[in-house]
Amino acid sequence: MVQPPGRGKVAVLVLLLVGAGLYAGMAFSMKVTDQPEFCGSCHVMYEAVRTHQVSPHANLACNECHAPETGVPKIIFKARAGTKDFYQNTLGDVFDVIHTTDKTKDVVNESCIRCHSMTILNVSEKMIEAKPYCTDCHRSVPHMSKLPISERRVSDE
Amino acid sequence: MNRMLVMVCCAAAALGAMALVSCTEVPEPVTPSYTTTLSATEIKNSAFEEFFPVHYRTFLENNDDSQMTEYSGSIPHEKHLCEDPPKGWKYCQPYLKNLWMGYPFSYEYNRARGHTYALHDVLDIDRINRYSEQAGLPSTCYNCKTTKMVEWIPEYGDEFWAMEFHQFREEVDMDDHTIGCATCHDPQTMDLRITSVPLDAALKRQGKDWREASRNEMRSLVCAQCHVEYYFQDKKFGAAAKPVFPWDLGMDPENVYEYYKDHGSTTREGFEGHFIDWTHAVSDTPMIKIQHPEYETWYDGPHGAAGVACADCHMNYRRLDGKKKISSHRWTSPLKSPEMIKSACGQCHADKSPEYLKERVIYTQKRTWDQLLAAQELSVKAHEAVRLASEYAGYKRPDFDQLMIQARERVRKGGMFWDWVSAENSAGFHNPAKALETLARSQQASQEAVNYAMQATNYGIARNLEGDIKDIVPPITEHSRKLQQSQEHLDSHKWLGYLPLLPEADLVWDLNRRAQ
Repeated sequence: MVQPPGRGKVAVLVLLLVGAGLYAGMAFSMKVTDQPEFCGSCHVMYEAVRTHQVSPHANLACNECHAPETGVPKIIFKARAGTKDFYQNTLGDVFDVIHTTDKTKDVVNESCIRCHSMTILNVSEKMIEAKPYCTDCHRSVPHMSKLPISERRVSDE
Repeated sequence: MNRMLVMVCCAAAALGAMALVSCTEVPEPVTPSYTTTLSATEIKNSAFEEFFPVHYRTFLENNDDSQMTEYSGSIPHEKHLCEDPPKGWKYCQPYLKNLWMGYPFSYEYNRARGHTYALHDVLDIDRINRYSEQAGLPSTCYNCKTTKMVEWIPEYGDEFWAMEFHQFREEVDMDDHTIGCATCHDPQTMDLRITSVPLDAALKRQGKDWREASRNEMRSLVCAQCHVEYYFQDKKFGAAAKPVFPWDLGMDPENVYEYYKDHGSTTREGFEGHFIDWTHAVSDTPMIKIQHPEYETWYDGPHGAAGVACADCHMNYRRLDGKKKISSHRWTSPLKSPEMIKSACGQCHADKSPEYLKERVIYTQKRTWDQLLAAQELSVKAHEAVRLASEYAGYKRPDFDQLMIQARERVRKGGMFWDWVSAENSAGFHNPAKALETLARSQQASQEAVNYAMQATNYGIARNLEGDIKDIVPPITEHSRKLQQSQEHLDSHKWLGYLPLLPEADLVWDLNRRAQ
């Protein structure tokens, strides 16, 4: 006669399942909230997403550049940034022109280096010292900001 | 424990759902379209306020005429006066009245201010004769000042231009009909439109049509309706006094100078068929007057050639009612505050500080300004040399008349070229290289004029031109239609003596009403 599994074992199983489900949900949410489709759901981000979509980086997620790569720092960074953006969009004031903070600039620069490390091997240390950010030379990468306004922005956004 | 679990699960599910639902497609940059209940022929500015209160608020910001920047600003001071505002400004052009002797610009010429004052200022200016029932200038002068043009042109057609300016004074409301919404917008859809007759015609002659222009082109063309060089058509070529943009040979100073060798009806020897705005009272030179060639200066400058539109810098996006951004309708110097520089220039130059950007503008402006003043001094000297030569009683070269034609041709060119930069409102910034090149060409032409005049008199006048030009021909600081009614005034300066005494008269017109 087979003993029915004890209540304890069932609970562990359920918990494991729920845990896996939660983890999958979290992983999925983390992925989705990295994407331009999510970021572009606030109209103040239209310009950023629009210029991203016509750029060579169009197939990468926003947070491939805009957040740290790894788990815990990324979660903390995203939570902070998300909360701040949510606040600015609801109770705060959005600036006429939205610029990156120094913190974001550093994160983005790390992302440049992360993907393009092999290319950078060809660039002397001196070069990297000469310009603090990669985009100081690669100037159209930050959202094609030298294009005429009409190709980037429209009113009501 | 279970309730906690359920709550956490629900929260995760909700987040996931939110993430999925909010996956929006970001639209192409297409301007929003509107449907107003205004009539297609609405021209009153106030009629637009209820539909677009935030835009209208920025439009009313044009009323601020209290602030200067380094080389520009909004205080409508007299451009030739070097005293403190509101009458003058440290960057003045002291020779303007001398250089425009015999032309209405010598009576009054002030710094431009906000569009909301355009109609008031054209009705108040001494260039148009308010001491007479005859304005002395045609109704074409309303062309770039009022939304009334939208009504007048269909009503009068090409007859309108040469009609009496004063006849329309009482028809205008200075606030409701000044440059406004209907100038650039279709009142029903608010789509950008061109209402300017001369711009429409000039584009047609180039084989272009603004109705097919891109949004980016329209963001400059709406300004090109007015911020351009123009002239009033000689009746030999069509409707008298109709405004025309002299762009058929190109939009550079050299092209425009060539264009003006035609399109006139003078029979004067050496200048047959040339277009003439006025004949300089002192040097008897057939002159060209240049007016605010912003568009022609901008189009091939560093910004214009890169497709950066007038509106990019002068109608920067602002978020005023919470979050949604609108185009600022405050047309002014973008240099008035660090915030304005950030909002206008910062859209592209995010990596530069407002202080740095301002310094780069002034870098160009200072150099342009210094050369502009040098070109004007040389131009005065050229007029004086021609005056001296034409009155010279000593030995003259056998080819005197031909040399004098050459001299006057160079006075005309030198005058047109500095005026191009002087009349342009960016003090060089819209196109630094072109501004400095144009001033260099002006100086060359004026010096050639001096040379020809000296040669014609076998250098007999050379000693009269020695020394500082400011001592030889002092700048004229005071001149107006009222002053020209006084012999004492005409006797106060060697050059003023060449003007006819005007009959004593009182003001007939006070703005848009008859003077009491």
